[in-house]
Amino acid sequence: MKFPARPATIPPQLPEWDPAWSRIVEARTSDGTHAFHVLDTLPALTAAGVEPAGTIVALHGNPTWSYLWRRLARATVDAAQSGGRAWRLIAPDQLEMGFSERLPHSAMPDPRSAEVRRIADRIADFDAVVSDLFAEVGDSGSATHPIVTIGHDWGGVLSLGWAARNTDLVSAAISLNTAVHQPDDAPVPAPLRATLTGPMLPTATVLTDWFLKVTMSLGDLDAETKDAFRAPYRTAADRWAIGNFVADIPVDANHPSDPELQRIGKDIEAFDKPALLVWGPKDPVFLERYLRDLRQRLPQADVHRFEKASHLVSEDHDVSGVVLDWLNAQFDSPDTVNTPTEAAPPPSERSSTAASAQESGPASPIRAVTAILDARSDDEAIASVDFAQNPAQQITWHHLWHVTTSIANGLLDLGVKPGDRVSMLVPPGNNLTAALYACLKIGAVAVVADAGLGPKGMTRAITSADPQWIIGELPGLTLARAFGWPGKRISVSPLGPVRSRMFKTETSLTELSRTPHRDELPTPAADADAAILFTSGSTGPAKGVRYTHANISALAAVLTRVFDVREGTGLVAGFPPFALLGPAIGATSVTPDMSVTKPKTLTATAIADAIIAGRATMVFASPAAYRNVAATAADLDAQQRAACAGVELVLSAGAPVPLELMDSIAEVFPNASIHSPYGMTEGLLLTDIDRAGVAEAEATGGLGVCVGRPIDGVELALAPIDESGESSAELLQGDAARSRLGEFVVSAAHIKSGYDNLWRTTADSSRDDLHGLTWHRTNDIGHIDDAGRVWLEGRLQHVVTTVRGPVGPGGLEALVDTDAQVSRSAVVGIGPVGTQALVVVLDAEGTELSPGLAPLELTTRLREKVAEEGGHDLTAVLVAPVFPTDIRHNSKIDRSRLAAWADSVLAGGPVRGNV
Amino acid sequence: MRITVTGASGLLGSSVAHALVTAGHEVTTLQRRPSGVAGATDVLGSVTDAESVERAVTGAEAVVHLAAKVSMMGDPKDFEAVNIGGTRTLVDAARDSGVQRLVHISSPSVAHTGDSIIGDGAEPASPEFARGEYARTKGAGERIALGADAPDFRVLVLRPHLMWGPGDTQLTERVIDRARAGRMPVLGSGAALVDTLFVDNAVEAIAAAVTAVDSTHGEALVVTNGQPRPIGELMSRIAIAGGASQPKLRVPVAPALAAGTVVEKVWELGEHDDEPPLTRFLAEQLSTAHWFDQRRTQEVLDWTPRISIEEGLQILADHYA
Repeated sequence: MKFPARPATIPPQLPEWDPAWSRIVEARTSDGTHAFHVLDTLPALTAAGVEPAGTIVALHGNPTWSYLWRRLARATVDAAQSGGRAWRLIAPDQLEMGFSERLPHSAMPDPRSAEVRRIADRIADFDAVVSDLFAEVGDSGSATHPIVTIGHDWGGVLSLGWAARNTDLVSAAISLNTAVHQPDDAPVPAPLRATLTGPMLPTATVLTDWFLKVTMSLGDLDAETKDAFRAPYRTAADRWAIGNFVADIPVDANHPSDPELQRIGKDIEAFDKPALLVWGPKDPVFLERYLRDLRQRLPQADVHRFEKASHLVSEDHDVSGVVLDWLNAQFDSPDTVNTPTEAAPPPSERSSTAASAQESGPASPIRAVTAILDARSDDEAIASVDFAQNPAQQITWHHLWHVTTSIANGLLDLGVKPGDRVSMLVPPGNNLTAALYACLKIGAVAVVADAGLGPKGMTRAITSADPQWIIGELPGLTLARAFGWPGKRISVSPLGPVRSRMFKTETSLTELSRTPHRDELPTPAADADAAILFTSGSTGPAKGVRYTHANISALAAVLTRVFDVREGTGLVAGFPPFALLGPAIGATSVTPDMSVTKPKTLTATAIADAIIAGRATMVFASPAAYRNVAATAADLDAQQRAACAGVELVLSAGAPVPLELMDSIAEVFPNASIHSPYGMTEGLLLTDIDRAGVAEAEATGGLGVCVGRPIDGVELALAPIDESGESSAELLQGDAARSRLGEFVVSAAHIKSGYDNLWRTTADSSRDDLHGLTWHRTNDIGHIDDAGRVWLEGRLQHVVTTVRGPVGPGGLEALVDTDAQVSRSAVVGIGPVGTQALVVVLDAEGTELSPGLAPLELTTRLREKVAEEGGHDLTAVLVAPVFPTDIRHNSKIDRSRLAAWADSVLAGGPVRGNV
Repeated sequence: MRITVTGASGLLGSSVAHALVTAGHEVTTLQRRPSGVAGATDVLGSVTDAESVERAVTGAEAVVHLAAKVSMMGDPKDFEAVNIGGTRTLVDAARDSGVQRLVHISSPSVAHTGDSIIGDGAEPASPEFARGEYARTKGAGERIALGADAPDFRVLVLRPHLMWGPGDTQLTERVIDRARAGRMPVLGSGAALVDTLFVDNAVEAIAAAVTAVDSTHGEALVVTNGQPRPIGELMSRIAIAGGASQPKLRVPVAPALAAGTVVEKVWELGEHDDEPPLTRFLAEQLSTAHWFDQRRTQEVLDWTPRISIEEGLQILADHYA
């Protein structure tokens, strides 16, 4: 079969493609001058009167072409025109790919053929094309005109290789899904294996468009976009190089391109400039192990994962936005280059201001998390009681110190390094405490994903955290085995030879706890990661929240400062995050007999027994647990009752506590002050309200759920919400922040240090710099009343934007729920942003209401209430046949689904349709 | 200002003429029967008659063009003569006699192709896809009016949506009459959201347009109360305000659409001078959402609806009490 030569051409009209970006560039390559089609935004920038102040060079993979970078082209040109740094984008179509020149061939591509263009040739081609183009803008590659690379698929490794070999020119490198190295111990991914098996190759890649089609299915592309990607590959002759690319994958050490790939890998390791990896984990070819390999080569790299994305990550997600934000963070905008006064305060200045805010309460110097445990190494008093063990197991401070030090030594012997991640698949209790504090002692990072995420959610969470180790009890190890979670396994108890082989465990905690204390343990830095705690995942995939040792120390200090938990205090810890802090504070913690994932299993007698065992004066649990405790209070005997009467502080965390529940709790713990702090995985203790405060707030008739005032050490600000439902860049405090709808933004020493592998999410959530502090955007909305109390009114994404302004759904729901005919409600917005119709959806369950339009009288009443209290026009009141609730939180209503249902019904759709 | 109002024998036209007189303008009206508007000068005639049109607009500084053939059924030629021919005649005569402002009253149905309208703005008229002769000819007429827009002949088009109130025979009285007879159907769940316009607000919006056309022209604006409501709820409330009991007759949507088509055909064959009880267009109107973004309208007209739907219903109830 003959494959004729063909010159480079200009692409036809294609969606999202600007013809002004296309140019043909002749470049001198290793085998003569060839013509390349190149996406270059220089003409577009010049036409807009903008001088480039940076260049991004982009390289596509197989079988895409520079069309892959159209959105980055658009985004960079738009940003340049609206005053941001003007980035020129240069994205060549590789030779024989896209609309670049086709060379003549007389045979099908074959791994050993001399006609195959090798990766070394392709890096040289890239160099030849871009070098000539850089010369068109005088200062390209200078200090004021950085050059950044980006690549995808094989273009990722090629562009990284080129960047690593041109560090005199290149200031930073970015890659989407790619692979640098084929590990010896892992097979080539299945889809490629199929294509690579000799005779299949020409058929799959050249003779048919199978390979092309399969690649186009690795993203949610519409038909026009797929057509655009396929435009340059209509005939077998056009597709020769698709086969070439596959033939040049170095599958083993005998492949002609293997030495070059090895060299590229080494060169990338030496690249020490800023790097960003943007990853779609659902890619069937570029698997997690390639990301792991890249991170080891580029330890400085920032990572942003789009958990739901596959291979064509930039087709389904805003990769251009991540890239532009990241570039902005790396390179000051040209305006500020010469005005250093505009720059952010240096890090030292920032941390000192942060520290001063934190020290606004009684002085609390940062103390190592394990300092008290170490100080009490000789103390024979009880440190921890575990009712999850049968019989209950209690250990002394001395014992806990000894065991954790042994395990720490054992972990080091096993090869655990400071900074290694250890996934904890152990329920709260003495075993978890021992494992956790052993890790803290050597700077290993505990990864904690709540079993409530379910196997799928846990798999996604743990895979993204990519731990080197797993410490688990049998149920956890079983899941790890079934779902292939990463990490070498350590069981809690010794497993015996058969099960040990089955679960591939290296050792057990029990065995590790017998390790002699030999080594001086490494001391983790205060700003080193201590733990990754996963969010509940109620708004998309669960996010890993990073806490440093300093953050955890600060959290322990908050419990002492605000709630008087101190050395010697006995506390019953029925709420997981706090259950772990006892040893850091020096408090005796008691794990009651309950299932962590089912707080409703905590009974009054279980809690009373725990109080007695720990001589506890404090109880921490969740509202669901207290509800059951109150419901089972009749089972308490006199001694248990007396124990409960000795409790001084009851803390309820995890969700707001209504007054009626506070009253029920007060009946069980008559002498306790009852507090309900508000927080989230990213900041566990932010505000606090007690029983009297709840009663007082309720009497004001305010809208929403009152969670009290910021606790000592927490700075609170409000980002007002505009008419389009976005929270503003500006933060308000004090009187200016009162009585207006906004997003709550907090700063404290004990909030998260960032999100794991979510560079942009971290940057977005901590983008504020008021008073030089580090802030966290909570995504929770509401208002602050005249007395400085915080009222929650829902989540930012659920704000309804009417013509009269933004509305927080929670406030109106609280108002609607006061009607006798209503059991519960959800307020949703229908229609375009800024002119949404305000709609109340009622739950039919537990009421006399039938699905459809609510009765006229009820509608009249609710409409009048909403108009009087909120000043808004209530468009409609609907009754839904069922109320979808979030799988994780029975109490959290799935507003998005209800809004979609209401949208359909109010457009004339069926009432009995899917909610 | 000297203002000519066409179609001042109807509720809206006569109310607009009256409001303009009250505001101190010198008002001339053009319609076939006396307008009954105190203080206005009537020219009796039709917009299809060039001579009477010329007489009515001569010397005017602004024209408010309300005259139209409004009906669900009828001979297409009649619709064309009034809504297309009449508009062309009026536009030509007004321009020739030096009128500088034209407020043309159109209908949202000119851009309604049967799909739901959910918070949209005023889309361009598309008579090609319009449902029924009225919408088709009004769409063509609107194009003529907007096509004539120029710096010295400023045209602003208003499309009032589902007007109701005391004295309205098109919607209000029919709903009340049918509900009293127990023949007012609720289509489907009755939850489809519709925008409506209380008659007093319509009058004030049109009066505001006579001023607004000086600064903004060459565009069409849908005018509503800015309070979308489920159609079943609003019809029930209008019926109750008119002294009827709440409509209980529920009709599924699909059969209603089919029935509407059949009734239309049957009506066309017979010698009916009144409206058919159900047309496909009406069935669509009553079972799909159509509500609008009012931000542009209120900004251009510098006007907001003075009477809320709830106040309007009270006024209606007092009227029928």
